[in-house]
Amino acid sequence: MTPRETQPRAGGARIEHRDEAELVARSLSGDRSAFGALVDRYAEQARRVARAVLRDPDDADDAAQDAFLSALVKLEQYDPRRPFGPWLMRIVANAATDRRRRRSVRSAEPLDPGVVGGGPRPDVVAERRALSERLRQALAELPERRRLAVVLFDVEGYSHAEIAALLKVPEGTVRSEVFHARRKLRTLLEDWKEPS
Amino acid sequence: MMEHPMPFDHQPDPELGAALRRALQPSGHKAFVARVVARAAAAPRAGSWDVLAGWAGRGIAAALLLAAGAGFAAGRAMQPAAGASMDEALVMGSADSGAAATAVVRGSRPPDASIVFASLRP
Repeated sequence: MTPRETQPRAGGARIEHRDEAELVARSLSGDRSAFGALVDRYAEQARRVARAVLRDPDDADDAAQDAFLSALVKLEQYDPRRPFGPWLMRIVANAATDRRRRRSVRSAEPLDPGVVGGGPRPDVVAERRALSERLRQALAELPERRRLAVVLFDVEGYSHAEIAALLKVPEGTVRSEVFHARRKLRTLLEDWKEPS
Repeated sequence: MMEHPMPFDHQPDPELGAALRRALQPSGHKAFVARVVARAAAAPRAGSWDVLAGWAGRGIAAALLLAAGAGFAAGRAMQPAAGASMDEALVMGSADSGAAATAVVRGSRPPDASIVFASLRP
């Protein structure tokens, strides 16, 4: 099973609101397995969004975990008529941002000189890994809101309106942030594709 | 005014999305889920702290009201009848002192020593 198949919203697929509402209702009544099902569904998405804010994967996981636990405490505030994902991602983004503010800024890991210099690429896996590292670094250089906007739109499949509500900014700002983020990341992607 | 700088902004970019997804893809999904669920199980039930906090607030307010009421009631019980002087209150407070004590307190002349020290006699 590919990650895309396991993830909510990816490829336009949306979890049924009724299903989510039922899981939330069961979680509220103390059914831990229902909460576990929600965590299972949204874990990867939450961890990716947290990682868009925090470069360190362990920090990102801690932030995602904090967000899930915070969501559990605030579960009564969730409106079951609305989709669960944007509500949860807002908590995730806030948890990651809070954690980043609390922590001293970690220095970016130095890139492998071979990767930077476009050295020999033994196989596709190594090439993809190197591209991923470049993308993560390029992403880290973007302002935080821009990072979140492009990841939520292009990776997680949220709409501009949902992201606007999630980040508490006008929809036009989200479109602009996505545009500018794409322009930078696309350049990197094209440069990477050209020599190969 | 043109709001959207580029038409492709309306739709997700699948190529960039896939590359970013790979770059941000975490590992150890099951371990992470198990960790979160275990922490959640150890945490207090959703909303229970809010409920307790609400109860605590109301409880403190009720206790303060009760204490104030009890204090007021006790004060009223100890208060002498309206218009009575301090001397009268003291005399009324000791019911067994009788007419002799009343005479001592109310009299305009100095009391007779035999009356004052009457209770000290063996």
